[in-house]
Amino acid sequence: MLIEAQSVTKMFGAFKAVDNASVTVEEGDILGLIGPNGAGKSTFFNCLTGDMPLTSGTVRFAGTDITTAPPEERARLGLARSFQVPLTFESMSVLDNATIGALLRHHNAREAQAKAREVLDRVGLGRLADAPAKSLGTPGRKRLEIARALASEPKVLLLDEAMAGLTPTEVREAIELVRRIHAGGVTIVIVEHLMEVITSLTRRVVVFHQGREIARGTPREVTSDPHVIEAYLGRRKVRHAGES
Amino acid sequence: MNARRLIQLALLVAVLIYPFLTLESPVYQRLGALVLLAAIGASAWNIVGGYAGQVSVGHAVFFGIGAYSAVVAFVHADLPPIVGAPLGMLLSVGVAAVIGVPTLRLSGHYFSMATIAVGELVRVLSSTSDWLGGAQGLGGPAMPRTVFDLSFMSAMPYYYIFLAVLAFLLGMTWWIERGRMGFYLRAIKDSERAARSLGVSAGRYKLYAYMLSAAFTSLAGSLYLCMFGFIDPESGFGILLSVKMVVMAALGGAGQLFGPLVGALILVPVEELSNSLLGGEGAGITFVVYGAIIVIIARFLPAGLLSLFERRPTAEKPAVSTANPASGHAD
Repeated sequence: MLIEAQSVTKMFGAFKAVDNASVTVEEGDILGLIGPNGAGKSTFFNCLTGDMPLTSGTVRFAGTDITTAPPEERARLGLARSFQVPLTFESMSVLDNATIGALLRHHNAREAQAKAREVLDRVGLGRLADAPAKSLGTPGRKRLEIARALASEPKVLLLDEAMAGLTPTEVREAIELVRRIHAGGVTIVIVEHLMEVITSLTRRVVVFHQGREIARGTPREVTSDPHVIEAYLGRRKVRHAGES
Repeated sequence: MNARRLIQLALLVAVLIYPFLTLESPVYQRLGALVLLAAIGASAWNIVGGYAGQVSVGHAVFFGIGAYSAVVAFVHADLPPIVGAPLGMLLSVGVAAVIGVPTLRLSGHYFSMATIAVGELVRVLSSTSDWLGGAQGLGGPAMPRTVFDLSFMSAMPYYYIFLAVLAFLLGMTWWIERGRMGFYLRAIKDSERAARSLGVSAGRYKLYAYMLSAAFTSLAGSLYLCMFGFIDPESGFGILLSVKMVVMAALGGAGQLFGPLVGALILVPVEELSNSLLGGEGAGITFVVYGAIIVIIARFLPAGLLSLFERRPTAEKPAVSTANPASGHAD
């Protein structure tokens, strides 16, 4: 078991953004976390990466308890992430952005840059390596987020809406990229809005709604689950949901 | 390209023989030494304020510790003042750790404000200590006893001592800049959150930069004491000292190797000129000048003067900004 999140709860004041969620990720998985806006999937995601402290629950990574570990510690253990709104290192070149990731495993700057170049080629940014990162548009920045994370040679890559804001063509290319990364031996957890991405990419999906997990299974299973349809589209008819 | 090398060589030679060019005018010799001393302080500040982007406005604390350590070595232990320099550096590193651990958690302006508060606190405390001479301050050796007192009539020895220290400091900064720590500091400056997600122990690196910066600011203080032979709470811990370091680095280019030196080359002569024209009563004018410079830099040149000379290799390829990077891997 690579990631084992148990009974994770995150409160903002009295509001339960994530309510007792338990998710496990095995090596080689591509797991999708989906749900309507405000379902708590991004909050849950940030609990996994260490960006937000949990209110209660535990998170284990490859057998180590990382519940209270800061993000940098998790990165060292092999947990890399992208940000929903890209946090590009604006003052640097594209290459230097990726180098920051590569320096985690290659302490020598020269070696790290070689590694960074290799990763940039892999994600299709090789041609722009020497351009200033701030000259990149949204698709380029999203790609750079992934390159940076990959350069840190992670076991798991957590993608937070890596495809939001892309055109359909760009989405298809990005899906292809994630597939290649997965084929290269990296476990993937992806938070996504776009059903297309989830159905074409993932094997297993966990559906969040109002901070709770309401369904899990293959993409086909969950998309036909009445709870999920209800969460996304609202009730078809009045009925008593005594059990939920 | 060769012209560039030639200019660099000419500048280097000019810096090396400057005291001999100004043999006839001790005022200019002294000015040269003062520029270098200010450049040491501002370059030390640059490590944490420029590269790591943690704008400390309380670096006078370390300058003062350096200056007082030197004078205390003389007054209370009868040693040459410069013996106090390494002690001051050690003490400054310790104090930096004590200040930095809680304050470096603050971001942006909050960190700057905390450092101002600490700076003022130390200034007030120092003026109440009899051991440190209270508000009157302390003086170094009135007459040089040995050469180790580093007390000279001419400014020339100071010029070369300061030049050597500055060269060492810039060399070390250059080395850091190109290594892992340099990359990490710049990443922290751009986005601490992203840096941490990539395994950068932001807290630790900021603290290292702060301690290193403190050590050399302290050395600048000790050197100041050797040259001026006197220190009081205002000249050691005054907030204007902290502001000067910030403004010099920002004017030349914060986070750039030679930024602080360029800033010092401009500001020190301006300050000396305003002092000599206006006398002691004009001291307040310095504040006005600095204020004006801050406003002008912030408005027109946020990256400092050196950014005017930056070569922009990508400027001729504007296609980069619009190019869809995805098309780059269509192969």
